[in-house]
Amino acid sequence: MVDSVPSLYLDPQIRDWVLFPITLVMILVGILRHYVVQLLHSPPKRLPRAALREQRALARSHILRATSSNSPLPPTFYTSISSHLSLAFTTGTYLKDGPPTGDAPSAPPNPITDPAAMDGMMAGMKTQMVMMVPQMIIMGWINFFFQGFVLIKLPFPLTLGFKSMLQRGIETPDMDVRWVSSLSWYFLNFFGLNGLYRLILGNDNSADSSRDMISSPFANMGGAAPGQPQDFVKLFKAERDNLAFAEGLYSWVGTDVENRVLRRYGKI
Amino acid sequence: MSISSALEQLASYRARNTRASQDTFKKGCAVLKSKVSIGDDGWAFLEQLALASIDVGRLDIADECLRQLFNKFPNSPRVAVLSGIRREATDPPEQVLKYYDDLLKMDDTNAAAWKRRISILRRIGKIEKAVQELAQFLDTFYTDADGWLELADIYSSCNQYTHALEALSHALALSPQNPFTVLQFAETAYTSGDLPLALKMFLVVIDMSESDIQAPQDNPPSGICVRAWWGIKLCSRRLMESRSHPGSASDTRLPKNLNLIDELATERVLTAYSGEQGTQ
Repeated sequence: MVDSVPSLYLDPQIRDWVLFPITLVMILVGILRHYVVQLLHSPPKRLPRAALREQRALARSHILRATSSNSPLPPTFYTSISSHLSLAFTTGTYLKDGPPTGDAPSAPPNPITDPAAMDGMMAGMKTQMVMMVPQMIIMGWINFFFQGFVLIKLPFPLTLGFKSMLQRGIETPDMDVRWVSSLSWYFLNFFGLNGLYRLILGNDNSADSSRDMISSPFANMGGAAPGQPQDFVKLFKAERDNLAFAEGLYSWVGTDVENRVLRRYGKI
Repeated sequence: MSISSALEQLASYRARNTRASQDTFKKGCAVLKSKVSIGDDGWAFLEQLALASIDVGRLDIADECLRQLFNKFPNSPRVAVLSGIRREATDPPEQVLKYYDDLLKMDDTNAAAWKRRISILRRIGKIEKAVQELAQFLDTFYTDADGWLELADIYSSCNQYTHALEALSHALALSPQNPFTVLQFAETAYTSGDLPLALKMFLVVIDMSESDIQAPQDNPPSGICVRAWWGIKLCSRRLMESRSHPGSASDTRLPKNLNLIDELATERVLTAYSGEQGTQ
């Protein structure tokens, strides 16, 4: 008969020799991981001049557009800069390989063939490896050594569906789902130690393993990876449209300045 | 003057990029002689002292600073450029140009070395080459407002005012809150003959500088506004004299109440010079 009041009494040695060691090992491995990632981290590669120019080309039009509604530039100067930039973006003057020759349609830089992007991807994958291998080792260790007994009682109730996952190795049909095995303690730590790492290692730590689950090595190909294969042709095209919008919003700060000044001095 | 107050003053010079070379040199030498340990800022201080001593002509102190910096940072591009500046003081320009060329070959994004190279080219008179390289530099490093101002200065010195105005317009886009750039723009426009544009830009300077003053007519104009009011007076007088408007190169329309502007400008200029420090 299932007793609704929990009556399992656990050996305190379980607490001393399983609970604390697992947590301690995970904390130490996390800190170790953080430092290993720091060691492996190579300084960002220096961009050659052409690539740098391409990267900063968008900044030129951002700067122009930032003040376009109250622009210090007189109309002729504003329109000349704006049309020059528009033309440059259309003909691809700022692209690091020069303007497209015209016969081959410009394809977005293939991450596999572009050497610069490849380096970035390798670096990303290296960090992923460092993050994943210790986790797998610890899981194997726990499975091997700490299998077959109940470790803790969860303070919150769960449905029966979790029984197979959390009580692996202790197949009893009647035991409350709240009694879980060491592997589930591992998972609890896995997701929960982030806060502790933030305290010890500061906010931007590489010990947080829950982030690995979200960003797989294939997420970087999406194009949002820092400084990696961004399709500048498309970006320039989008920027051209932005320039056209900004030109619509343009207004010179000197259009009515004489009346403003005269009014301030009470002359009109 | 204690060492700590000297260090504070030097730190504030560094933060504001002040070129008070004589004072920096005096204080810096005192700190150097006292051999007190400065900590993390020590290297920036050595760089500052090296530049100041080159500026006042004491190359021995500069060499001492450079030696210490080089021992600590042997592969630093920053120290390399500093050593180039030291060489500019004594070596023939072609040699230093070649030195900067080598630096740029190693790393062609070294902006500081490129700028020094351009400044040498300007100094030895190769204006065309300097302008060409500066234009190329600004094409890559667009956000260098000082570079645009330098380009405008070179163009103005060759009387190419249209190009100067174009360069200044980029500088304006980069620092729209800086009234001094607007003033330079206005004065260049005036020199090139575009009086309506100059008048408008002088008025923009006034508008910008006095926008937070409640009753500006109560106080005489100060600082940059004096110069701007002078500019307005000159423009409006010339515009009113030559009734056949010569037309503006930038198609700027003339303000309608020109005589009111002229009156106001006259009043403000006279007020500026009517105080006890005035010329009356």
